[in-house]
Amino acid sequence: MLRPTKGRFGAVALALSLLPGAWADGPYVSDTARVSWEDNVTNASAGNGVLGAFSFGAGTTLSWLHSGGFSTLILSDLSADFTVCTSYRGLSNIEVGPRLEVRHKLGLGAFAPSLYAGIDGKATGFQDPEQSKIEGAFIFGYSQRLSEAFQVQLDGRLGSYDAQDIVFTGNYASLAGALNWDLDETWRIRVTGGWRAGDTVSNYTAVMSPYGWIPIESDALNLPGAWHYVRTFDAPFVAYRVSARTWSYGISVSPAIGRHTSLTLEVKRVETVGAAPYLDTVVSLSVAHRY
Amino acid sequence: MRHFLLFFLVVSLTASARASGTVRVVAKDPSGTPVADAVAYVLAIDAPAPVRPPADPVAIIQKDQEFLPYVTAVVVGTRVSFPNKDTVQHHVYSVSPAKKFEIPLYIGESSATILFDHPGPVTLGCNIHDWMVAYIYVLATPYFAKTGTDGAADITGLPPGRYRLELWHPRLAAKVGREITIEGTADSTQVVSVTLRPDRRIRRAPDSEGLGYK
Repeated sequence: MLRPTKGRFGAVALALSLLPGAWADGPYVSDTARVSWEDNVTNASAGNGVLGAFSFGAGTTLSWLHSGGFSTLILSDLSADFTVCTSYRGLSNIEVGPRLEVRHKLGLGAFAPSLYAGIDGKATGFQDPEQSKIEGAFIFGYSQRLSEAFQVQLDGRLGSYDAQDIVFTGNYASLAGALNWDLDETWRIRVTGGWRAGDTVSNYTAVMSPYGWIPIESDALNLPGAWHYVRTFDAPFVAYRVSARTWSYGISVSPAIGRHTSLTLEVKRVETVGAAPYLDTVVSLSVAHRY
Repeated sequence: MRHFLLFFLVVSLTASARASGTVRVVAKDPSGTPVADAVAYVLAIDAPAPVRPPADPVAIIQKDQEFLPYVTAVVVGTRVSFPNKDTVQHHVYSVSPAKKFEIPLYIGESSATILFDHPGPVTLGCNIHDWMVAYIYVLATPYFAKTGTDGAADITGLPPGRYRLELWHPRLAAKVGREITIEGTADSTQVVSVTLRPDRRIRRAPDSEGLGYK
């Protein structure tokens, strides 16, 4: 397993992101806003406290570009984002973080493949302070346009996050792939798939026992990870940190609204297997605008 | 005697100027819709006309992350500059057989001008912003014009003689051409029907993945 780095990647990325004003052009600003419904925000196994939640949020990203020589770009971003969970306020959060990456295109033209690698940092403050965390990750990826209509993308992350409470602290590795199908200049259909291995938090409905709050599912007591009683939700819950593998797949439809804006409706299904298996479906509607 | 020579010179020049015709080319698709950005040109059949490239470079600018103009027609030997009027860097390139070149990432006025020394179509792109596209059509004849939004282009200064009228467009599905004859100063109109392939371009609208090599 990876060791938590307490945001060292993030600190490096933040330090580097402060440099761009002097050596790169920008900032270029892009904004996003979204609403979403998640049918299992507790990541609970069936019957053990599955709760749905509605949330909305928005974010902005400032990006700087620097020419790194032939077909190479150095990009640095500084992002800020907030999410308001109207169902369970403890999940509402504010997030800020820098990102630094090197992108290289293997040749000339729209159909030449491009590669990137970098570091990503993030500090997230939750209304439920136990979940507040600092995260750092190595990121890498590949993308290639196959034609005017099709583009494939692969993204990988190797990350670590350190939260106020040990239950919400962990490490992970993930890979995600996407196929963009642009029906024309306006309509895009995107199919995604992903794999993640690492720590995740599953919440179980809690019941009071002579020993304090324990999960309603007695087998959960045998889970190997740390656990903690939480007040995030309206009812008593016990949060477990478990090591798991997660598969996700989704589809989205995205119409462009002019040349700078797009709207995206996405449905994503998440299946986690392991000691605490759970299913989760997220439906989101978002708008992205680049100035 | 001096006045007579002067009179003779003026009359000769006037006659010479009048001895050229104009061809108005009107490009339409099969439904009758005018076709803009088509390059109409004529090739002299009897005696090829020499081309004289302009002394100053022709400019194709980059503004709002697009090339302007979309189609440019030049003669062989023309130099073209690519000033970047955006605040973001561009990497202009072509991999077309008629001219392969690249100007790595730059902003503002690039010091490089590119010599277009072979006839044929040249497709321009930006290696960062894949949706950016424009075309240069390099001609081996001095007689050409680009159609406007009304589909019309006037090719002027044609000496009498036989010519082959041809038309090029980035989305032209099949080559079009015909022989025409210029007689004296007579002007003529040639309506050319062209079939275009669908206008398929790379989507520009953003997604959530930020900038660079999209």
